[in-house]
Amino acid sequence: LIMKDNSLRLVSPEQALKELDLTEHQLRFTCRVQLQDPHGDTDTLSRVYTHLKSILKGYTIQHLPDSTVMVESIVIKVSSSSEDPNAKVLLLSWSYQDEDLGSFLSTLLRKGLPHGLC
Amino acid sequence: VEEPPELLAPKPLLSGVVPLEPFLATLTKHGITEVKVEDTADGHILHLQAEDTLIQLEEDGTHIVCDNNEPLRIVLRDLVLRFLQKL
Repeated sequence: LIMKDNSLRLVSPEQALKELDLTEHQLRFTCRVQLQDPHGDTDTLSRVYTHLKSILKGYTIQHLPDSTVMVESIVIKVSSSSEDPNAKVLLLSWSYQDEDLGSFLSTLLRKGLPHGLC
Repeated sequence: VEEPPELLAPKPLLSGVVPLEPFLATLTKHGITEVKVEDTADGHILHLQAEDTLIQLEEDGTHIVCDNNEPLRIVLRDLVLRFLQKL
């Protein structure tokens, strides 16, 4: 709701920023989650995808060809250390607008992936 | 397994700038004192050495990069939000 030129109008937050000559400030988080998973990076990412698919109903979850899983606008990538290929690092990145889901996913993935996951 | 959050309306948009010196003072007040500041073309990178966390401050954005230390991330998030307006 913005007041401008003596009138009150209901506009989207994006439109309000524009009309008030404000610029948006993007707050982003990237979290590293350590995971022990004796598979290749691609397989680990597939397992993350399968795991999230089984838990998050009603969310848009995509496994993209650039080795990324996206849950809504949250980006998940996998890398592994050269010394210990089983020690994986998941990188989760989200913006403040997706804070609740980002926080939930980082807590969930920290618990690891369930056994018997394809 | 905890229940995933319901599909909620997204959080408000943010506006404003996080100023370096007042932000550093706020970190100190919260016990985060070992901060190495590096200037970049668009702002600053703060390395919180004891916490192994990076905070990239720019005019139109802030990026917090940390290990999965949820309590610390929430503290840093709330300290950043103190300097921003919500819309």
